[in-house]
Amino acid sequence: MEATCLPRIYVSASAKASSGLASCASTSNTGNSSWRRFSCLRNSRIGVMESLQMSQNFEFNNWRHTKMSKKSVACVQVLRAKLNDTERKTHDDDDEYPWPQKFGTEDLEGSPLPFLSRFKPLPNKPKTVTLPFEIPLLEIEKNINKIRETAKATGMDFSEQVNELQRKYDEMRKELYGQLSPVQRLSVARHPHRPTFLEHILNITDKWLELHGDRAGCDDPAIVTGIGTIDGMSFMFIGHQKGRNTKENIYRNFAMPGPEGYRKALRMMRHAEHHGFPILTFVDTPGAYAGLHAEEHGQGEAIAKNLREMFGLRVPIITTVIGEGGSGGALGIGCCDKMLMLENSVYFVASPEACAAILWRTADAAPKATEAMKITAHELVELDVVDEVVKEPLGGAHGDPYSASQNLKEAIMRHMKDLLKLDPDSLLKHRKAKFRKIGAVQEGVKLDPRFKRKMKPRDAHLDGEQPPQMT
Amino acid sequence: MSVRKWLEDKQKFGGLIEAFFEEAVRNSIAHENDKQIILSENNNDLWARCENCGNMLHIKFSKQNKSVCEERGNHLSMDSMERIEPSIDPNTWIPLDEDTISKDVLSFCDEESYENRLIRSQEKTGLPEAVQTGIGYSNGTLIAPGVMDFQFMGGSMGSAVGEKITRLIEYATQKLLPLVLVCASGGARMQEGTVSLMQMAKISSALHYYQVQKKLLYISILTYPTTGGVTASFGMLGDIIIAESKAYIAFAGKRVIEETLGQKVPDGFQLAEALFENGLLDLIVPRILIKGVLSEISDLYSSVPYKKN
Repeated sequence: MEATCLPRIYVSASAKASSGLASCASTSNTGNSSWRRFSCLRNSRIGVMESLQMSQNFEFNNWRHTKMSKKSVACVQVLRAKLNDTERKTHDDDDEYPWPQKFGTEDLEGSPLPFLSRFKPLPNKPKTVTLPFEIPLLEIEKNINKIRETAKATGMDFSEQVNELQRKYDEMRKELYGQLSPVQRLSVARHPHRPTFLEHILNITDKWLELHGDRAGCDDPAIVTGIGTIDGMSFMFIGHQKGRNTKENIYRNFAMPGPEGYRKALRMMRHAEHHGFPILTFVDTPGAYAGLHAEEHGQGEAIAKNLREMFGLRVPIITTVIGEGGSGGALGIGCCDKMLMLENSVYFVASPEACAAILWRTADAAPKATEAMKITAHELVELDVVDEVVKEPLGGAHGDPYSASQNLKEAIMRHMKDLLKLDPDSLLKHRKAKFRKIGAVQEGVKLDPRFKRKMKPRDAHLDGEQPPQMT
Repeated sequence: MSVRKWLEDKQKFGGLIEAFFEEAVRNSIAHENDKQIILSENNNDLWARCENCGNMLHIKFSKQNKSVCEERGNHLSMDSMERIEPSIDPNTWIPLDEDTISKDVLSFCDEESYENRLIRSQEKTGLPEAVQTGIGYSNGTLIAPGVMDFQFMGGSMGSAVGEKITRLIEYATQKLLPLVLVCASGGARMQEGTVSLMQMAKISSALHYYQVQKKLLYISILTYPTTGGVTASFGMLGDIIIAESKAYIAFAGKRVIEETLGQKVPDGFQLAEALFENGLLDLIVPRILIKGVLSEISDLYSSVPYKKN
């Protein structure tokens, strides 16, 4: 702003629109009318934001000649303070975080832990999203609703037709969800309303306390860690957290952790080993974050360190894939004693779109890539990568999140009981053996020498030395 | 400055004049072995072009110089045989798992079936898989090197690569040898799906026993290019991480980053020098010094006064 002896009022476009100040505001610089202008603005019904923006634009230094009452000055100062507060980014715009400003007496009766959790049910029920293969179901549902409405309107009894249609709906649903193809399972795994990590946690734990930070400068929102109890037994929970709507997704970076997230997870895992908590990890990520900041701070190194350290933790680890399992980003918290997958979740080495773009050279081949790469739970059990598939309720986990969580809880506790019987050394051996056996190689068949012409042949002349044998 | 040198400077052909002289000498003396080698290779392989300055390098002289361009020291890519040959003392090499190759576990077929692709790569490159492992003496110390090769299906890590490297690590653990892995890879092998992803975990598990429990020395050498799953597993787990000059070392490739950010990635962003500035590497060593540096390092580590259990 140029320094002039007479002030100018710059009104932002938003302020103008929302408060109808067009009549009040003007950009003329007659000094005599400026005070009148200010009082006119003060008296008009304007919001906090607008008045504050305007107050910031006033050059108070040049207003020596104006008389502002002490009350107005105080008013503007309060408004200015409030603007500074709102300028600082709060993650959820949640007035109640980190703790409510005022506690009622009834609030202090139960456990204080729920107050420390920022994860609350969404204020508005999200709009239903229909996947392409669910469209026939949607049509039947529409017909049922139509008939019900006509029944209400006319008062006639259509219960027979309604029951018939309902029966048809249930049958079709069972059929559809009983035989999902890999492409359909992938779309269910990526469903925007699929229960996230924290939703599962709040359904299965009796107590939950989220812990934060990597103690090295960052608290990555994409990975959530904490301790909780299931049936009275304490565990360490670590998982990728997706957002339930666009705003949350942006805050959580779409569950794509950076190196700070993996370092936070490692710190928590070491903490769990130190104190004796078994570790439960939940994988739900499209992949690790591919950004400049992540690369500069050692994304590959962070994941590699996690992989190596997880094989030395002397507590049981169970990993569950609850949504998408994206390559290295998933494996970074996924080296476990037992691997579980929800029925409609997927675990891939490269996303089908990326694979199609590289191998088929066109992104349209993504369905073909999905079928070929064998990424669904049942296919991975056959490949001996996954230990168990946890059944989801009919309609997918997003249809009935509570049942899905209970199925998950039952499977986890069953496997945990078996693992708790092992002593730490056997546990480490068991974990190592689980991954040691994964891999399909062909040996013992003498290869065509043409295929080995660029290999350095043996030339050691150690007397009596045979080729090294593994004991 | 001699006339020869002046000609070389003018025409920017490194070693060309020497090559002509050498050819002339060879033709007159007729060394049969040399002739056969040169005649059997394709004409294209006689000359290599430096990507940095466009300098033409005759293959014999570039090999003497370890495929480093004389103009500005740009390191050209080398295959695994070229790396092992000069680093290992003569008559000391014992290869491991020569006949281990990948199986088509998913019956994968994109534009071509995975089996056919494997056979075609094996014929073209003369290697059964993307890594060569073995043991040998280097400057008098017995080491266990594993060298990856980018020419075989882009150096991608599949079951066979994972198995060979894991067995090398297990052998080195048993015999208490220092481990050296030269990494050159485009990532995990997509044709083997999640099985190839688990190789990362398998190798890291073997490395845990080797490094953390047995406290042995593992040196990883990152070359052009080292990306994806290898960077996120054994590439960055070395006790000492050495990179070659201007090696491209990344977790996510340039195109993926640009698509995520929608911005252009700055030049030189994921090169070894940039990672060095960010504290992710220990050393950048010119290729000609690597053998000496490795023996000095193993010497330093074996002269510790405090004996471990």
